[in-house]
Amino acid sequence: MEPSILFHIGSFPVYQPVFWTWVIMAFLAISSFILTRNLQKTPKGVQHFLEVGIEWVETLIAHDVGPARKIFVPLILMTALYVGVANMIGVIPGAYSPTEDLTTTLTLSLMIYVLGHIAGIAKKGFGKWLKGFIEPTFLMLPLNLAGEVSEFVSHSFRLYGNIFGGGILLGILYMMAPYVLPVPLMAWFGIIMGIIQTAVFTLLASIYIQNKLT
Amino acid sequence: MLEIAIMVAAIAIGSGIALVSGGLVGIGEGFVAGKAVEAMARQPEMEDSIRTTMLVGQAVSESGAIYSLAVVLLLIFTVLQPLVARFLELL
Repeated sequence: MEPSILFHIGSFPVYQPVFWTWVIMAFLAISSFILTRNLQKTPKGVQHFLEVGIEWVETLIAHDVGPARKIFVPLILMTALYVGVANMIGVIPGAYSPTEDLTTTLTLSLMIYVLGHIAGIAKKGFGKWLKGFIEPTFLMLPLNLAGEVSEFVSHSFRLYGNIFGGGILLGILYMMAPYVLPVPLMAWFGIIMGIIQTAVFTLLASIYIQNKLT
Repeated sequence: MLEIAIMVAAIAIGSGIALVSGGLVGIGEGFVAGKAVEAMARQPEMEDSIRTTMLVGQAVSESGAIYSLAVVLLLIFTVLQPLVARFLELL
């Protein structure tokens, strides 16, 4: 269960998910820099694809986040890009998906949970936000609190369980048939399940944020 | 010795039983997908929003199976493996 330590910086151990998170961050930063280096008013070349992609994501999210979308589009788009690349990097032999570790997914879902609550307080005011926990009656308080906890727990466990379960299945298959046979399953678990889980994680994140705003 | 063997066997059987929820969730998700196809056939212009709703609904109803998977992983990696190691030591 526990990821292995790759190397130490000073006395800090660098675990595998942390290292591969740095690799993904570098990849995303460099590719964003190269792709957006000279943007023009009239799109040309690769800029067409970027604009179509961003507009598609914006309409997808606007449907869920509502009028506050301007603030949340970069957050949710960046989450989607990071989770997508992190899910799909597992296809490369020797690479390790950071989302195969519970700490990464729990961090992401806690980030979205806390930001949603902060946005809710900012929009509704502290008293009304606090009153939301005893809706519709005071007796519902324990159930509401359990719902709050299960929200980010299930949000993180869903991604972690899917990616980790796929990784275990692939590992067992590697032991039994190391050549050729795992390739279609790798494509399924690495690429298709990776994209689906990214879409689900992102959509659920925007729905949770929207629920806290209303 | 025998106690450890019984515990190992019980954990293995329990993990297997916990994964029944995967099958049940499979039935539910297949049902959702079938209904979504019916809805898409009836209203092809609503395809995008139907697909989004279908994926989110399936993801939410999948939580049960994910919880059972988490329980099984905990059982196997934090309970079963130390027990097996202890068992091999005693052998």
